[in-house]
Amino acid sequence: MAKIDKKALWLTLLLVSGFAQAEQEVDPDGFKQPLKNLTFNPGLDQREFERSTFGALNVYDPLESWNRRVYHFNYRFDEWVFLPVVDGYRYVTPTLVQKGVSNFFSNLGDVPNLLNSLLQLKGKRALDTTGRLLINTTLGVAGLWDPATRMGLMKQDEDFGQTLGHYGVGDGPYLMLPLLGPSNLRDTGGLVVDFSAENQVNLLNVAEASRNHPEITLLEVVDQRSTVNFRYGQLNSPFEYEKIRFFYTESRKLRIAD
Amino acid sequence: MQYFSRLALLLGGLLLGTPLLAADIDAETYGYPITNPFEATIATTPPELRPTLPADADIRQDDYQLRLRPEREFELPENFWPVTRMRYRLAEQKGEAPLIFLIAGTGAHYASSTNEYLKKLFYGAGYHVVQLSSPTSYDFMASASRFATPGLSSDDADDLYRAMQAVRANHPSLQVSDYYLSGYSLGALHAAFVSKLDETRRSFNFKRVLLLNPPVNLYTSISNLDRLVQTQVEGISNSTTFYELVLGKLTRYFREKGYVDINDALLYDFQQSPQQLSDEQMAMLIGTSFRFSSADIAFTSDLINRRGLITPVNYPIEQGTSLTPFFERALQCDFDCYMTEQLIPMWRARYDGGTLNQLINQVSLYGLEDYLKTSSKIAVMHNADDVILGPGDIGFLRNTFGDRLTLYPLGGHCGNLNYRVNSDAMLEFFRG
Repeated sequence: MAKIDKKALWLTLLLVSGFAQAEQEVDPDGFKQPLKNLTFNPGLDQREFERSTFGALNVYDPLESWNRRVYHFNYRFDEWVFLPVVDGYRYVTPTLVQKGVSNFFSNLGDVPNLLNSLLQLKGKRALDTTGRLLINTTLGVAGLWDPATRMGLMKQDEDFGQTLGHYGVGDGPYLMLPLLGPSNLRDTGGLVVDFSAENQVNLLNVAEASRNHPEITLLEVVDQRSTVNFRYGQLNSPFEYEKIRFFYTESRKLRIAD
Repeated sequence: MQYFSRLALLLGGLLLGTPLLAADIDAETYGYPITNPFEATIATTPPELRPTLPADADIRQDDYQLRLRPEREFELPENFWPVTRMRYRLAEQKGEAPLIFLIAGTGAHYASSTNEYLKKLFYGAGYHVVQLSSPTSYDFMASASRFATPGLSSDDADDLYRAMQAVRANHPSLQVSDYYLSGYSLGALHAAFVSKLDETRRSFNFKRVLLLNPPVNLYTSISNLDRLVQTQVEGISNSTTFYELVLGKLTRYFREKGYVDINDALLYDFQQSPQQLSDEQMAMLIGTSFRFSSADIAFTSDLINRRGLITPVNYPIEQGTSLTPFFERALQCDFDCYMTEQLIPMWRARYDGGTLNQLINQVSLYGLEDYLKTSSKIAVMHNADDVILGPGDIGFLRNTFGDRLTLYPLGGHCGNLNYRVNSDAMLEFFRG
C-alpha cells in the first residue's frame, strides 16, 4: 500500500513539474529565467562562432595592404572634406529642396535600374521601373517628386555588377575604391558600364549638361553622400576594415539573389 | 474591509521591516507585443508603438573631440589615429536647460542606436544631451581610459567622470540648470558608480540618476552572454556555418517579399515571416554580437598595455598592415577569457586583489548596496525576462531599490526602451 502511494506521489510530482515547465517557470522574485528553455550544447565547447567568423573573414583580398591604406585615406577625406561639405549643404538647403534634389538624381538612377532589370530578364521589375520613370518624370516634374513610390511602385536597385553576378560572374578581388568605398573587381566594372549607359541615354539632358557644368556632378556626389547613412568609425572596432569587407560582400550577394 | 487589509499590510510591513514594494507592471495592462525575450532584444519595439521623436534636422548637435590622454598619440600604432582623442556628441538647446549624460552599453559607441534613441527622447523633452561611449568601447579605451583594462567598475567610473568634467569645461557658454545621468545595460552599472563618485567629488551633484537594464552581478551577465554562443542551433552542418544559415534565411525572406528594403521594421517583419529564427538561433545571434565586443576589448587592452597575449610586443603595425591574424586570435577570447587573462592579473598587480568572488562583489551592483539603498535619487528600470540576469538578481534589486525599481514583465534586454510606455516613464522620472 505504502509502495503504491509513493509511486502515485512521484507521478503527481512529475506531472506537476511538467505542467510548470510548459507554463514557463517564474522565480519567487518575478524572474522569468529566459535562458532556461534553450537547448545548449552539453559540453559548452562548441566552436560554431569561431568557425562561422573565420569563414566570414575568408574574402579574396590580394590587395589588402593597398586597400587598407585607401580605407584610411577615405576615412580622413570623409572627416575633413566630405562630411563638412555635406553638413554645410544640409545647413543652407531647406529640407524640402534636399528631398527634391535626392528624388531628381534617384529618378535618373532608374535608367540603369531599368536597363539591368531588362538584361536580367526580370519582366515585372522592368515594368515597375518603367512605370516609375514615366510617372516620376512627368507627374513628378522631372523627378523632383516621387509619386510612384506612393502608388506602390518601389524603387528596386539593379546595377551592372548585379547583372554580371546574376549570370554567375564571381566577385573577383575585393577593392577599396578611393572616395567611393568598398567594391570588388566585378562591381567596379559594373560601375563603369552603368556610368557610360547613363551618359548614352542622357535622360533630361543631365549627363550632357554636367559635362559643361561640373557643379551638377558635385551636387550629385554631395547628395549621395548625404543620403548614405554610413560613417567611418561607426562600427567602432579596431577591425572595422574586416567587418566592412564582410558586410559589403554579403549585401551584394543578397542583392544579386533578390 | 479593504481599508483593514491595507492597514494590516502596512503594519505587517512596518513590523517585519520590509522595504517599500517595487512597481511591478502587470503583463496585461503593459501591452508590449513581443513576448519572446530574444526577439524583443534583437528587434526592439514595432515602429508604430515607439514614441514620436524629433527629426535629426531639428536637433542642434555636433561631434567634438578632446585630448584626454595625449600620450596615446605616441603609444598607439598609426592606424589608430581616429581614436587618440575622445569623441562625444552634444545636442544643445537654445538657452538654459537641464543636461543629461548618457552612457552607452557594452562595447558601444556614443552614437550607437540605443544612445541615439535616448538622445532624441531627452532632447525632445528639452534637455541638453551629452552622449558618451562605453568604457568598454574601443574608442574610449584608447582615448580616455587610464589603464585601458575595463571591468573594474569604480576605475571605469573614474575615467567617465574625468571625461564628463572635460566635456563640461569644453563648453563654457552652455547654460545648464541641473545635471542628470542615465545609461543602459553596462552603461547603467557605470552610471551607478559615477553617481557614487559624484557624492564625494561634487562636480555635478546629479539631481536624478536612472539605470536602464543594468547587470546586477557582472559575472552572471558575462557568463550568460558567453553561453549564448553555445546553443544548439538547427540547420548548421559541415557545409553551412551559422552566418550562412541566417543570411540564407534573409535572402529567402527578401525573395518572398519581392525586393530588398532595409528599415526599422525589418527585424520585426522578418520574425513574423516563415523564415523566422528559432530561440536558439536568436540567442546565438545575440551571443555573437557580444563575442565581437569581447574580441575588440581583448585586442585593444592587450595592445595598449603591451601584454603580448594577442599582438606581439613591438610588432610593427602601420596603416597597410593586416590586422586579420590578430582578429582571429582575439575572436577566440570571450569575456571569461578576457577576465582571466587580462583583468584579474591587472587587478591583482595594481590593487593587490584577491579571489574572483571578491572581484565580483567589488565590480557589481553589490559593491554599492548601502549607497543604493539610501540614495532616493537613483531609480532602476528592468525586465523580468532580461537575458543578462540570473536567479536572485531581481530579488536583490527589490531589496535594494524598493519602490524605486520598476519591473516590466517583458522586453528582453533593452528591447522595450523604445516602447512608448517606457519612454513616458523615463521622462516622468526625470521630471520628478
